[in-house]
Amino acid sequence: MSIRRWIAAVAATFSVGFALMVAPAIAHHSSAPFYDPEKRVEIEGAVTRFVFRNPHAFLYLDVIDETGVKIEWQIELGAPVGLRRLGWTPDTLPIGMVVKAAGRQSRAEGSHGVCCVRMTRADGSPILEGGRVEERQSPR
Amino acid sequence: MQPVSKLTRSNKGRTACAVVLALAMGVTIPPLSAQSVDSHIPDLAGIWDGRPSVRPVNGESVPWGEDNFPVLNERAVAYQQVWEEIMAPKYDCQPASSPAIQYDPYHMSVTQWPDRVMFRYEKDDQLRTVWLDGREPSSTDFSIQGFSVGYYEDGALLVTTTHFVFDIAGFDDYNGIPSSPQKVVTERYWRDGAELRVTLTVEDPMFLRGPVSYTTRWLPAAEGYRLAPYDCDPESSRASVRFFPSKYK
Repeated sequence: MSIRRWIAAVAATFSVGFALMVAPAIAHHSSAPFYDPEKRVEIEGAVTRFVFRNPHAFLYLDVIDETGVKIEWQIELGAPVGLRRLGWTPDTLPIGMVVKAAGRQSRAEGSHGVCCVRMTRADGSPILEGGRVEERQSPR
Repeated sequence: MQPVSKLTRSNKGRTACAVVLALAMGVTIPPLSAQSVDSHIPDLAGIWDGRPSVRPVNGESVPWGEDNFPVLNERAVAYQQVWEEIMAPKYDCQPASSPAIQYDPYHMSVTQWPDRVMFRYEKDDQLRTVWLDGREPSSTDFSIQGFSVGYYEDGALLVTTTHFVFDIAGFDDYNGIPSSPQKVVTERYWRDGAELRVTLTVEDPMFLRGPVSYTTRWLPAAEGYRLAPYDCDPESSRASVRFFPSKYK
């Protein structure tokens, strides 16, 4: 690869990556009242529903816990009005697709929510090709 | 843009005299007239970018921070004490209003017509119309966005908005400060090179001890950019509410 093409490839990667990083900044509300930054959680499961609507997109996963019980987790994402500009569509996360997510767990006792996630496909690759996998923290 | 007909502030007295004289002479005069072309109308039209790359993101200390945070009266403090995040009507898709919607990190478009200026906000699909033709609100003109009138002066658009409905998060939902129908929001828009700037002032004697202001800016949107529909979804809007540990049972 020539220097020029290499620079172009790096620039493209960074621009897409940066764009994905900032998507959740276009937010409707703060994450702090709902999610505890000190309480980290990692989950892996199959997509059951992807609600790609404003003010925030939500992804639902069936996750098997350590006792073998299936629990539905809800992952809060950015605003589709911003995500669309970065290449996300309602079909980005089809039902049955397995994803891994790590982020802040919801505050309410016994609830199964997570936000501000680092999210990948099951093999660790980005959800969108060329994109980063980690969301920037929601603004306060 | 179409030229704008005459009515500046300084001409108001002269206009009033003319109206009286005309009435005395039995002449029929149109009830409203828009503003003159000679009052240096700034070009505010276009799509403007207010996202986090342009200015700090709104939050607990933005745009109301250490330097400009309002002094609250006892009534406002009492409201703050019962307040909790999920009381905000935005969790039921109620749109943001002034002074918050101007600082939401989204695009907006401005359209200038001879008799009005229209602010279209990508956030919450809101349209505010600022009337330049001298009309006044009626007693039934209360709404979330209120009733806005304005005029051009010294290269700026000056807007006054009244007739807001009560809103428990109508000043700032990050700090749980309500606003009342006594809220008056004044805005001064002007161009600073490529930037669009506004200084916004809020008065609300029901809750605030005095007026407070902030100044912010937008940059021109990328070429070809079009506002996207927001189409707030009630299910998505409330989806995180169940994660909030409410102090109320």
